[in-house]
Amino acid sequence: MPTLEISLKDLEKLAGKGFNTTEELEEALMFAKAELDQGAIEEGDDLKLDSKDTNRPDLWSTEGVAREVAGRLSGQKGCPNYEVSKGDLVVNVDGGSQIKKVRPFTVCAVVKGLDITNEVILQMIQLQEKIAVTFGRNRKEVAIGVYDYNKIKSPITYKTFKPTELKFKPLGDDETSYEEMTLADIIEKHPKGKEFKHLLEGESEYPIFIDADNQVLSMPPIINSDYTGKVTSETKDVFIECSGFELRFLIPALNTIVAALADRGGKVESVITNYPDKYGEVNAEINMNPKETSVSLKKMKKLIGIDIADNEIIELLEQARYNVQQDGDELNLQYPCYRQDIMHWRDVFEDVMISYGYNKIEPKMKKMATKGSLIEKNVFVDKLSEVLAGMGMQEVLSYNLTNKEDLFEKMRLPVPDKEVAEIENVVSKNWSVFRSWLLPSVMEFLSKNKHNEYPQEVFEIGDVIVIDEKSETKTRDVRKLAIALTNSVVNYEQIASQLNALLSSIGVEYKLDVIDYVSFINGRVASINLKDGEKYVTAGIMGEIHPQVLNNWQIETPVLALELDLDVLFKLISK
Amino acid sequence: MTRKHVITKEGQQYLEQGMPENKLVNILGPETPVKEAKALAEKNGINFGVALQWMKQNNWVEMEKGVLFVRKKPKQDKLKDALQALDKGKAVDATILTILLRRKLVEEIKDDHSSKAKQILEQGKELTNIDPSLIKTGLWKNATLKPYNVTATGKRIYPGKKHPYRAFLEDTKLKLVEMGFQEMTGPNIEMEFWNFDALYQAQNHPSRDWTETYRMFYPKIGNVVNEKMEKIIDNVAKTHENGGKSGSTGWKYKWERAQAMQLMPRAHDTAISPRYLSEISGEIEIPGKYFSLVRCYRPDVIDATHGVEFNQFGGIIVDKNLSFRDLLGLLKDAVMEISDAEDVKFYPDYYPFTEPSVQISAKHPELGWVELAGAGIFREEVTKPLGIDETVLAWGFGIDRLAMFKLGITDIRDLFSRDLALLRNSKVI
Repeated sequence: MPTLEISLKDLEKLAGKGFNTTEELEEALMFAKAELDQGAIEEGDDLKLDSKDTNRPDLWSTEGVAREVAGRLSGQKGCPNYEVSKGDLVVNVDGGSQIKKVRPFTVCAVVKGLDITNEVILQMIQLQEKIAVTFGRNRKEVAIGVYDYNKIKSPITYKTFKPTELKFKPLGDDETSYEEMTLADIIEKHPKGKEFKHLLEGESEYPIFIDADNQVLSMPPIINSDYTGKVTSETKDVFIECSGFELRFLIPALNTIVAALADRGGKVESVITNYPDKYGEVNAEINMNPKETSVSLKKMKKLIGIDIADNEIIELLEQARYNVQQDGDELNLQYPCYRQDIMHWRDVFEDVMISYGYNKIEPKMKKMATKGSLIEKNVFVDKLSEVLAGMGMQEVLSYNLTNKEDLFEKMRLPVPDKEVAEIENVVSKNWSVFRSWLLPSVMEFLSKNKHNEYPQEVFEIGDVIVIDEKSETKTRDVRKLAIALTNSVVNYEQIASQLNALLSSIGVEYKLDVIDYVSFINGRVASINLKDGEKYVTAGIMGEIHPQVLNNWQIETPVLALELDLDVLFKLISK
Repeated sequence: MTRKHVITKEGQQYLEQGMPENKLVNILGPETPVKEAKALAEKNGINFGVALQWMKQNNWVEMEKGVLFVRKKPKQDKLKDALQALDKGKAVDATILTILLRRKLVEEIKDDHSSKAKQILEQGKELTNIDPSLIKTGLWKNATLKPYNVTATGKRIYPGKKHPYRAFLEDTKLKLVEMGFQEMTGPNIEMEFWNFDALYQAQNHPSRDWTETYRMFYPKIGNVVNEKMEKIIDNVAKTHENGGKSGSTGWKYKWERAQAMQLMPRAHDTAISPRYLSEISGEIEIPGKYFSLVRCYRPDVIDATHGVEFNQFGGIIVDKNLSFRDLLGLLKDAVMEISDAEDVKFYPDYYPFTEPSVQISAKHPELGWVELAGAGIFREEVTKPLGIDETVLAWGFGIDRLAMFKLGITDIRDLFSRDLALLRNSKVI
């Protein structure tokens, strides 16, 4: 969720509302789905907010927060009106270059007559940043450039250049400034180049905005030029462009930024954007007219669950910055151009509820006659854990995620190719595959407890994931039980008795057969076979762990262990 | 091992009254018909059967044609004397002891403490242990029992216990059952379809980044298992592209089936709800209340507040005519029930699959205000494609946070602690 740094004074001025207490401020912030993260009325001007709606870029700036607060608390009701006048700046998208493949779209606007204070610059940069990171998927879908309009000579061309055929001076930061560099050098050496070069990976040419004087504006989505791409308190008029791949991301991004500047008194002008024929029809010109939708009053009232009069609902909508026209049950609505989140009447409904205040509704759940229940297998498993604890064992709990070394190598098993569910984007190799059996989890536990008192008797009940090509998820969760007993001396009888006690307590007959299994000592391992009518089903393994396995885990005491399939057991019990 | 002899109940009787054969033979005339002898015995409280058997065995009488002839009258009651001797702890002749044992007048108790205890008693010393023989024989009456150091705390032993975290989770589940909720579950490895698409999270859209998620390397792509699922997928696709029959504009993009078929470790418990609502796995009743408490996975770097694995606790309520007020009521009830909260407060929030959405903060007596749960009404873009016309309230709990508090843990990694001492020392809550 985006975090915003804002100035309290700036917010109060834009919202037309002063706050006396922090509580009052917090209540007001709810209207903008924001929460006070740091700061307080008595602590000065700097506030940090958490903006909770990741689908509402319009709320990620002081201007956006102020609009919502002003609608509810300062009587600035209805849809804000943004006038756009025809401008004469031209942007030509060059069909002859690779631009359609590399970064095909740009939408643009000009905002004039700004009084750009430091706070305005901060908010502008912050909003750009938040939109590009969260909404623009870290500049992939949306990269935003803001430029000094008066340094640009129309027409601007948007086209690609080869990495070494063009040079410009990239924007630096407070400490560093840069000389003219080739596009290739910027990509390799400039901090922003290094940070975002993956977005141009594999391209033989890079996208560039360049004006009629051959002055470079920027290389999206990497960096602006130092000359035109630098906005200071001297700047009065700005040119704004958003570049990317889909208009459905670019248009809301542009509208949001332009609306924020217009809220500070800027005059908006359109830019003539010419796309080559091969794009087909592209409607890229800025449109700040309100959008329209309609909702049914009856439906809304039913969903609220408390009595609210029609005219109160209309009032609440107007506070949420809608223009409302009632037509019987139908409310015809106009809402601001920066809202790209309204897809359904429910989105409107939420705005009504926010205007009303969630905490003004007395919470009351209607009575429903339903009968609660647990999944039977889970009840069974919980009972087993009680029996096991009653036998003196401590239950342990491990992650389902683990690694191939623990699952196989340490257990003296060959690492299989396709028998284990594996994660692609691992954070740590330790957590890279799902466990396919449970014993390694308790072995790992014992290996971490050599300093603790012996004897150690532990059990774990948990899911393992096995590959099942035919199932929907090509995997199946299997509930398993693992027991491990260790002491300076152990006796096979101990684990055999534990199994006997467990299975006797649920009335299951079984027999043990001699088998070979490399994780255990030869001649000290048996398969556990449960009686199912006339036949036996194999459901587990029991024995003394092989000393090499102990060495692999650096366990210094002998270990008796068993693993049992509780799904098989449960099926048997349920018959 | 030493042997200790204890007089039985029958033996005790004879010790006091004399042996029945001695008593009877001493009152018989030289020739007595059996019937008369029996009447005489009964008159004197003598067990005739026993007396007759042993008079014959000892050759004190002979029986001919129904008449007892006395051949010898013993001067002493040797067995009675022996019983008295034993009672006083004196040794008796081995032959006689064998008879007493065979007649079950005396029982032999094997006990290696007893003679030692007896010796100590005889020597008038204090006794440490009382044992079965002392208790049975009443010898303890003569003993002085040494006092124990009763103020010493015992040696620590470790009872077998359920894992404290799992015990907490089970308790929490039971609270939900009491509130009328049925448990749901689903697979650890999910299809993106259920984790995202069916919850109206657009492909290649920030709403999908609501959770940072893992992807699977193997297996990669899931299967569509039946016609019904095919139909649901089609409904969801249309809803994403143009709203379908949900009354929405949709996200307005080209929905890619291949992306939805990809497998991923389940990132949130809400992935289970559309499975049940569509009845692709599980069934639902309307009205119905459902919950799940399952393991989820996110690619976080593990630290004191983040784990790659964690439990999520959430659920749905399905019924006609449920309202926003019902949602708030449900949340308040559930939070109060589960968390010991004193008060709750609601904040507007955002989840891709609910509208409106709400966050619940609870005032905890010790933690103060904490964010505890998120909830909302499932969007119609979620419910309609699954074939649900009713209202669905959905909620999710930050159960790990609550667990940490209840268990007195400050590091989330300790929920899955590898330290046996910590588990052994954990309190049973």
